[in-house]
Amino acid sequence: MAEKNYYTIDPDGKLTCMKCGVRLEKGKAKFLYLDNGFPVELPVCPKCGFIYVPEELALGKVLSVEKALEDK
Amino acid sequence: MIEERASTHVYRQKRMFTKEELEAREHLCVHEQPPYCNAACPLKLDTKAMIAAVSAGDFDRALALYDKITPFPHILCALCEAPCEGKCKLHEVGEGVSIRELETAALRFGAPPKKRGLLRKKNKKAAIFGGDLFTLFLAGELCRKMYPVTVFCQQDGYAAFLRACASGMPEEILAASEQTLSRMDITFVWNTDPAEAFAEKNASFDLRCAAYDTAQLLFPGLAVDEAVMVCREHRLITGRTQGVLGAAFGAKKAALSADRLAQNLDPANTRGEEGSVETRLYTSLDGVSPSQRIPCTDRASAVAEAKRCIQCRCEECIKGCAYLQHYKKFPRILTREIYNNVSIIMGDHMMNKPINACSLCGQCSVLCPNGYDMAEVCHIARQNMVTTGKMPLAPHEFALMDMLFSNDEAFLCRPQPGYAQCKYVFFPGCQATAIAPATVRAAYLDLCQRLEGGVALMLGCCGAICDWAGRYEMYDDTVKFLDEQLARLGNPTVITGCPTCKKQLSSHAQLEIHGIWEILEAIGVPEKAKRLEKPVAVHDACGARGDKATQQSIRRIAESLGCQVTQTPYEGDKSPCCGYGGLTQYTNREVAKEMTDKCLERSDLPYLSYCMACRDRFAREGRESMHLLELVYGTSADHCPDISAKRYNRLSLKHHLLEEIWNEEVIAMDLGFTVAYTPEAEAMMDDRMILKTDVIRVLQSLRQTGEAIREENSGLLLTRARLGNVTFWVKYEEVDGGYRVHRAYSHRMNIVNRL
Ligand code: SF4
Ligand code: SF4
Ligand SMILES: [Zn+2]
Repeated sequence: MAEKNYYTIDPDGKLTCMKCGVRLEKGKAKFLYLDNGFPVELPVCPKCGFIYVPEELALGKVLSVEKALEDK
Repeated sequence: MIEERASTHVYRQKRMFTKEELEAREHLCVHEQPPYCNAACPLKLDTKAMIAAVSAGDFDRALALYDKITPFPHILCALCEAPCEGKCKLHEVGEGVSIRELETAALRFGAPPKKRGLLRKKNKKAAIFGGDLFTLFLAGELCRKMYPVTVFCQQDGYAAFLRACASGMPEEILAASEQTLSRMDITFVWNTDPAEAFAEKNASFDLRCAAYDTAQLLFPGLAVDEAVMVCREHRLITGRTQGVLGAAFGAKKAALSADRLAQNLDPANTRGEEGSVETRLYTSLDGVSPSQRIPCTDRASAVAEAKRCIQCRCEECIKGCAYLQHYKKFPRILTREIYNNVSIIMGDHMMNKPINACSLCGQCSVLCPNGYDMAEVCHIARQNMVTTGKMPLAPHEFALMDMLFSNDEAFLCRPQPGYAQCKYVFFPGCQATAIAPATVRAAYLDLCQRLEGGVALMLGCCGAICDWAGRYEMYDDTVKFLDEQLARLGNPTVITGCPTCKKQLSSHAQLEIHGIWEILEAIGVPEKAKRLEKPVAVHDACGARGDKATQQSIRRIAESLGCQVTQTPYEGDKSPCCGYGGLTQYTNREVAKEMTDKCLERSDLPYLSYCMACRDRFAREGRESMHLLELVYGTSADHCPDISAKRYNRLSLKHHLLEEIWNEEVIAMDLGFTVAYTPEAEAMMDDRMILKTDVIRVLQSLRQTGEAIREENSGLLLTRARLGNVTFWVKYEEVDGGYRVHRAYSHRMNIVNRL
């Protein structure tokens, strides 16, 4: 059963991991905050696992979820 | 690092205060008390609303309001004693509003309200025996309550009946009332002796009412409970009244008794508040000039008379406070909502934002005639949330970390060279060192030079920040720490540079504490002080609320330097907060900005402050703004450091003074690489509360891990590091010997891999 992802971005081959020298791919990640977790799909390095959080995501969705949880 | 609260799934609860205390606090607010005129009317006319309607030219609405209180508005209005007029607040400065004339105008110019929707007649029948003013009004009241009413009277028709009931009434009033009466659904049995009719018919009615004369004929010496207009012994509704208002009010009481009797209840059962009341309302007459009554001869003059009404209400607190204005709520409501918010165990805490947006400045407690202290409520709520683990760290973390920085890395405590023990210690405060280090340096050197007995220096934060955040444990630690440091210096007399520090330290350090302004008054300002020969507006700091001596001292010094101190609204104890207090600047920028605007709207002149936070916020809004000490020490006041510079200033002042005064060499740590910022990055970081030191730490981590990605489109690199509770991202390019930062952002959420 596929888990529902709260957010998905595909790197479209536009990002490269400097350490591993490979392209980032769409990969499984998880947001964790104040004991709450949400599955997401983000650009991830297939070798070292570096997860990229783009600025729009950090200042948009991530921030609004943070705020909502902070006031729980 | 400050521990983030563990979870949203912690279900602890603690009451802010008892129900009784909540009620006692709420009771202080008189905003919802009736205005003076309304309170005086036994019929509970919403006088204020009626006058407002006239002043808006809406005579129909005015009449509708008036008509609501009585079935015979013309008769009532013609002879009403109008106790409301005597209570009009305007009497205190001039002539009160001619309320009765406005009622007359409503009757003249307003269209009679439409009859209320068709209600079903009640099945209990009422009989009225005999006519007087009281039974006339009672017939009308019972008819409005949908009782089938039958009146037995001697007269032969409406006109004669009305004349008998309302003797001495002008003819046109009688004519108007005849119309009203004849249209009512009341059955009249004319040409009947009421006493005889009673003997014959009373048994066939559920509710029996009689004119007082008739009642006495029927039951000589009967005892009437005038509070309810009932003779209980004979189950008869009757009573003696005085004047038209007495009759109208008596009829209202009697009609309510009829309801109770119809349900076989005692007439005294659950009646609620009746008649005129005492009001506790407060209304300021500031700016109200005396005016005279305008005779209401036509629509226009009635409107003009109504416009004299000041629509009494208390809103002293909200008038002065941008925070209350922002949330459009009076303290009473806000307190109740905050109290409820704190009591919720699960779910959304809608009031967290308001709780954290108050600047805790205490202006409300001065403006409110009853001292309503919203600051205390919000402060208690914050502490409560900290206790139960419901206080989010995010809104306050930056400020708290800043305080820890002040009292750790940037902290300095040294006796003046050459003195083992000093008579004084100078405590300029964290904001002064952050914003105006050159001024702090000049002040310290001056004090050292001109005071006998040695002056130690303590650079740090008084703890106001964690106190405001509601972090009481952290505050206790800070108090302990500062007290220890002061003890190490031999408990000298403290000279603070900031009124908030003075207030905070006075609450624990059992020492003599003075503001530097007091010292300057005693020893005189230094010779090189800058003179400012122009008018200025002095902004009183909220830390000096209730401290008249400080407020006056500041003004004397300003005047001695040539300033013409002008009077501004809300000065002294009534001063609003600049937006820094209570950490509003960090928790709610929008409200903080509104607070600053509220301060600045009081005058167009340059602002002279004596709290560095006020000086900074005003300058940021583009106002010519200086701190008294900048004037005294001739230091420039035209800089507004960003958040990184504020930290840098504190640290470099410490290092600089260590070298200059204590001959201690501070070895600057060499990073081993350079960091440059695009102007866009700098502005962005200030806005997003990202420090240059944060960026440097991220880059240091990068150098260890090599973890970064390249964005193919721009060719720029991105890296990140988790510092404490926050992940910081830096977008950069590599340049010779280091990095050039293009962007920076952060998030608190942890983001981890998932299999
Ligand atoms: S000042 Fe505000 S809190 Fe005080 S009585 Fe008036 S409305 Fe209520
Ligand atoms: S900001 Fe100041 S005046 Fe306004 S409610 Fe808070 S303490 Fe009172
Ligand atoms: Zn990699």
